[in-house]
Amino acid sequence: MEEYAREPCPWRIVDDCGGAFTMGAIGGGIFQAVKGFRNSPSGMNHRMRGSLTAIRTRAPQLGGSFAVWGGLFSMIDCGLVKVRGKEDPWNSITSGAMTGAILAARNGPVAMVGSAAMGGILLALIEGAGILLTRFASAQFPTGPQFAEEPSPMPASSFGDYRQFQ
Amino acid sequence: MEDNKEPSGPSSPGSKSAGGFGLFGSAGPQYSKTELAGVPLTGMSPLSPYLNVDPRYLLQDTDEFILPTGANKTRGRFELAFFTIGGCCITGAVFGAVNGLRMGLSETRNMAWSKPRNVQILNMVTRQGATWANTLGSLALLYSAFGVIIEKARGAEDELNTIAAGTLTGVLYKSPGGLRGAARGGLVGLTLSGLYALYNNWDRLKGSSPTRY
Repeated sequence: MEEYAREPCPWRIVDDCGGAFTMGAIGGGIFQAVKGFRNSPSGMNHRMRGSLTAIRTRAPQLGGSFAVWGGLFSMIDCGLVKVRGKEDPWNSITSGAMTGAILAARNGPVAMVGSAAMGGILLALIEGAGILLTRFASAQFPTGPQFAEEPSPMPASSFGDYRQFQ
Repeated sequence: MEDNKEPSGPSSPGSKSAGGFGLFGSAGPQYSKTELAGVPLTGMSPLSPYLNVDPRYLLQDTDEFILPTGANKTRGRFELAFFTIGGCCITGAVFGAVNGLRMGLSETRNMAWSKPRNVQILNMVTRQGATWANTLGSLALLYSAFGVIIEKARGAEDELNTIAAGTLTGVLYKSPGGLRGAARGGLVGLTLSGLYALYNNWDRLKGSSPTRY
């Protein structure tokens, strides 16, 4: 498995923002291509043009929302790392919950709680999957050097008495 | 006899000179300054090997870094891509926010400071910020994608990749405007990426060595 190289914390935010934008734009592009294709009048010319128009207008918007989500998540994650002083899955779960809450802030407190729960659960699933993967990947390799049970030459004084009582 | 005793008195502590003047006396013709420093330098050159290094040993060698297997010295286009895209998104967001603030303030100039005015300004800021971020981000995405494709197709990394990727991005981005729009976009892309390539290689083109590595 290759080394997992992440940037140090301030630049990680830019990296994650770019990665999220790419995922959103490409995924959204494919999705909108199919949707635009289907929602156009019949005839290949119309369909291709509708598909391209949908990609051009909608894919950057989806990429932008993903980028906001990713950038905000990474910012809160880096802030928690700095405050707590350690990196562990709890940082990611809390960051996901807080990101969901902040992005639903305009819709009132109930929506914030619901969005926070969704974000937290999603990140918990992702982190849990990551931990399971790491465990499976390390279990594939043979276990470490076995320490054979050798009867050590112990003095025969009082330890020998224990055996008689068993 | 008294004349002989005075100069030889102070010479007894350290000097090993056989006769003649001592350490604190004036230098005689048979003793050089280096010998008077207390270090016997017979047979050695006066240059210290520690202070006078042969300049051939001081080369800045580019092979002085040890790289793990499979790694190359500089970061490839794919690794830089996310950083470029994210940076353009954030730059676009900041620029759009400032632009939105300016536009919002100028459009609501005649209103009093009230909640509707704030909401309108906020809406302008968020909308402009989002639009500019999306535009710059998608341009950066197209540029990075073209750059990676051209690099993989050519097999080499060069400034030509940068300029070609920029031109193609301009052409594709303005292609809905027909052939003329695409040509204009391609020209803008060529100019911008050419300027960027020029900025990167300015020192090399001028003939001097670059001060940053």
